[in-house]
Amino acid sequence: MLPSSREKQILNPLTFLRCLGCSTINSRPFKEGDYVFGEVEEKCPKCGGDRMKIVGIYVKEPEQREGKKQKTL
Amino acid sequence: MSFPSGAAETLTLMQIAGREDLLSPIIQLLWILFLMLFILYPNFSQKLQLSYILRDLERKLYNLKRIREEVRSRTVETLRKYSEGNTDLERELDKMILSFAITPESMDPYGIVYKLEHIVNIWEDTFEENVRRLCPKAEEEKAKTLTNLVEVARGIDYLYRVVRHYYLLGKRTANIYIVLQIQMLMPQLMEIAEAYRQACYAFMQGQPVGDGVGALAAAKLVEGLEKKTYEVAKDTIVHELVMDGRNLFVLRAVGPGGAVGKPADGIIKIIEKEGDRVKAIVMVDAALKLEGEDTGKVVEGIGAAIGGIGVDKFKIEEIAKKYNIPLYALIIYESISEAITPMRESIAKAADEVVERVKNIIKDKVEEGFSVIVAGIGNTVGIGLS
Ligand SMILES: [Zn+2]
Repeated sequence: MLPSSREKQILNPLTFLRCLGCSTINSRPFKEGDYVFGEVEEKCPKCGGDRMKIVGIYVKEPEQREGKKQKTL
Repeated sequence: MSFPSGAAETLTLMQIAGREDLLSPIIQLLWILFLMLFILYPNFSQKLQLSYILRDLERKLYNLKRIREEVRSRTVETLRKYSEGNTDLERELDKMILSFAITPESMDPYGIVYKLEHIVNIWEDTFEENVRRLCPKAEEEKAKTLTNLVEVARGIDYLYRVVRHYYLLGKRTANIYIVLQIQMLMPQLMEIAEAYRQACYAFMQGQPVGDGVGALAAAKLVEGLEKKTYEVAKDTIVHELVMDGRNLFVLRAVGPGGAVGKPADGIIKIIEKEGDRVKAIVMVDAALKLEGEDTGKVVEGIGAAIGGIGVDKFKIEEIAKKYNIPLYALIIYESISEAITPMRESIAKAADEVVERVKNIIKDKVEEGFSVIVAGIGNTVGIGLS
């Protein structure tokens, strides 16, 4: 394994933000300093409000559960 | 051997056959020598296997070393960001990585839990103090996460040293049984090493890890509700609120820095204050799943759901017994590597399910007007106050 291929394996979580104005939830890659329930000043892509609350930080999993489940014992 | 004479083909055949005549005794001799090797030297096959295993171990040990170096250099890099620049960080980090705590004597086990607690407390405090001294620029919460980071570096370093020990011991003594044992464990150990590597990145940046799901569920339970929040024990906070006519004490470590707090001390304080009004303790924690089980599955049970060295578990069980309070446990399945690496979606989603199930338990088991303690166990890195 080369260092470059190893780097890729690092799990990068997404930060899920809820706009305090219109309650829309959108996500972006995690940035240092983010934490769940924290409030950040970022522009809402929908209503243009500039305060968002972080509602979740997690690694998105690929959606292939159904096919996988059939195969597992 | 006899050959039909006359034809040209036969001549060719004879030539080959003639060469075979010369070759076959040589091959036979080699065979005999080869067999003699096994007869005169019965350990030969074992030696062969030993050298094969040692080579395999060497390769894995090298990978392990690389992971350890990577974690170590990332740790130094991160600490440097918060240090004043004039300290020899590498030397100080090595001092912390090699530090140890001696477990109390168990010949007479009476009171050993409190002795162990005492020693581990001192060790943890010293660790944290050292990190704070090295990183004066880090604020309170960040310093706790950095302490976790150093613990990760310490964990992988120890793993590496143990594997190296068995490799070198097996090599020096040419003992196949030593190297066999460590070789059998290597796949799992490499998985843990990889998890440490991922954990290092998570703690460097303060990302929530799988182990934090208990604390996350506790936070979600009280999110947006009117409550009184105060510190009840070291790094441990409690949200006091009324829900459906029951007094709720929701306990968790303080975030978003990486901390697990002292849940047992918190629970004891609440029970001593509330007395017989406490009718249930509900504990939420991540637990090790068996291979084949789904990550993020929520399961209910009875008992003190808390890991660690056992001090907290012991103290919670003791106070629950003293006041005759039932202990309900809700656990979220995850693997050992999922516990220390950035939180997966299925684990994060499980927190919402836990909230509903905790509410149901409270409705079922606690009558209105009484109190219940909900303890969300786990590391709160990246999980702030709700
Ligand atoms: Zn908006």
